[in-house]
Amino acid sequence: MKEICVVVKNHPGVLAEIAELLARHGVNIEQIAAEGIGKTGIIQVQVDRYDTALSALRDAGYRAMTEDCLLIRLPDQPGALAGIAKRFKDAQINIRSIHIVERKEGVSIAAVSTDRTDHAMRLLKDVLIRA
Amino acid sequence: MRMDAAVQARLDSLYHRLERLSAQFLGYPCNLAFDYTPLHRFLELCLNNVGDPFVASNFGINTHEIEREVIQFFARLTRADGDVWGYVTHGGTEGNMYGLYLARELYREGIVYYSQDTHYSVTKILKLINTPHIMIRSQDDGQIDYEDLRETLRIKRDVPAIVLANIGTTMKGAVDDVGRIRDLFKALALEDTYVHGDAALAGMILPFVEPAQPFGFDAGLDSLSISGHKFIGSPIPCGVVLAKKQHVDRIARAVEYVGTLDTTLSGSRNGLTPLFLWYAITQRGTAGFKAMVAECFRVADYAIQRLKAEGLQAWRHAHSITVVLPRPSQALLERWQLAAQHDIAHLVIMPHVTCERIDRFVEDLKREAGRG
Repeated sequence: MKEICVVVKNHPGVLAEIAELLARHGVNIEQIAAEGIGKTGIIQVQVDRYDTALSALRDAGYRAMTEDCLLIRLPDQPGALAGIAKRFKDAQINIRSIHIVERKEGVSIAAVSTDRTDHAMRLLKDVLIRA
Repeated sequence: MRMDAAVQARLDSLYHRLERLSAQFLGYPCNLAFDYTPLHRFLELCLNNVGDPFVASNFGINTHEIEREVIQFFARLTRADGDVWGYVTHGGTEGNMYGLYLARELYREGIVYYSQDTHYSVTKILKLINTPHIMIRSQDDGQIDYEDLRETLRIKRDVPAIVLANIGTTMKGAVDDVGRIRDLFKALALEDTYVHGDAALAGMILPFVEPAQPFGFDAGLDSLSISGHKFIGSPIPCGVVLAKKQHVDRIARAVEYVGTLDTTLSGSRNGLTPLFLWYAITQRGTAGFKAMVAECFRVADYAIQRLKAEGLQAWRHAHSITVVLPRPSQALLERWQLAAQHDIAHLVIMPHVTCERIDRFVEDLKREAGRG
């Protein structure tokens, strides 16, 4: 089962909004989980119609990420992402992209994509938002 | 050919809607104050600038000669020492794509570094050219965080470093310090490096301010992109890309079909937009642009003063015409076509923006807050 990760502004009812949106597009949610990081919410959904769900979320203006990119949580300070790059270098994993999704209240959330997702996941276990 | 009444009505309706929207245009960097009436007759021709403007083409109905003059004008503005090449693009994004493509061709193993405040189209380009990239955090004022950049570069010293420097960020108008980026390369003993500058709007502002802020080829850029429809103004989106000739020569490709050596990204290219730019440059001259920039600063300061009088934290960078303010309501954003990001929005004080337009905007803000 494939998973989509949605980064949202944390507010009451946001989970229901996403569920309703997906239902409107005929997408069944197999599993849904949410985590709040300050004012930011991370919602992880497993669905039966992956591509439809992804485009519905994106069309509605949500920041939806596919499962080949890993979301991590770091302190919001210079050099924090460099530390992640070093882990990959030491493990000889090639980075495809690292981009900052959100920076708020001393926490930085970043999306990481590499050529070896499974290995990267193990390497980032301590900072990974979703597993 | 006679026009059908329904077609006429449709065109009239579209025109009036666009005209109405233009009167409330305050949030995007497009100069609406232009007059290209003397060029209207060129719309009757099938202009096509296919190919490299510096190489003769078999397709003769072009404005290559004019295009070369435009490139030379921008080369002077960006303090190139003469050894640069360029062409008129379809907009800033194509210029950025060209710069990053050139860098990728020169350094196949390179990683692109760019700040969090970089325009979204850069991520799109990097995906398209399939180049690894790492986003660097931004400082609160919108500049790249040099410490974060240094730490990240230090980890990857064995890999060529390609930096996309913002010469005026989209939301805050912040200018990354190219000299400082070059100093980081030096301090880390990085040899294979490349810096492309996205100077979409500020590329036509910084050359006309004093004291001049280093941003061009003299500051260490390898290529840069400037929009034409932004500060200069054009009814059709356009821009210029400039790059060091030594880099371009390395990726030159022969295209026999049109009998030209084509190093540009597109095939057919707009022949009309170089003409618009050339006309504006010729009519206004350096002194004209300098006066335009000064007037934009004056109106920007007026806007800041009016907004501050309403208790709003409005500000701008010293050499920017982008006025940052707290994000207003959605209705106001839509009514005035303002761009917003997180908690902020901005007004872009282009040459068509007058103090009177600012007054109308502030009155609207006050009305909404129940103070009008």
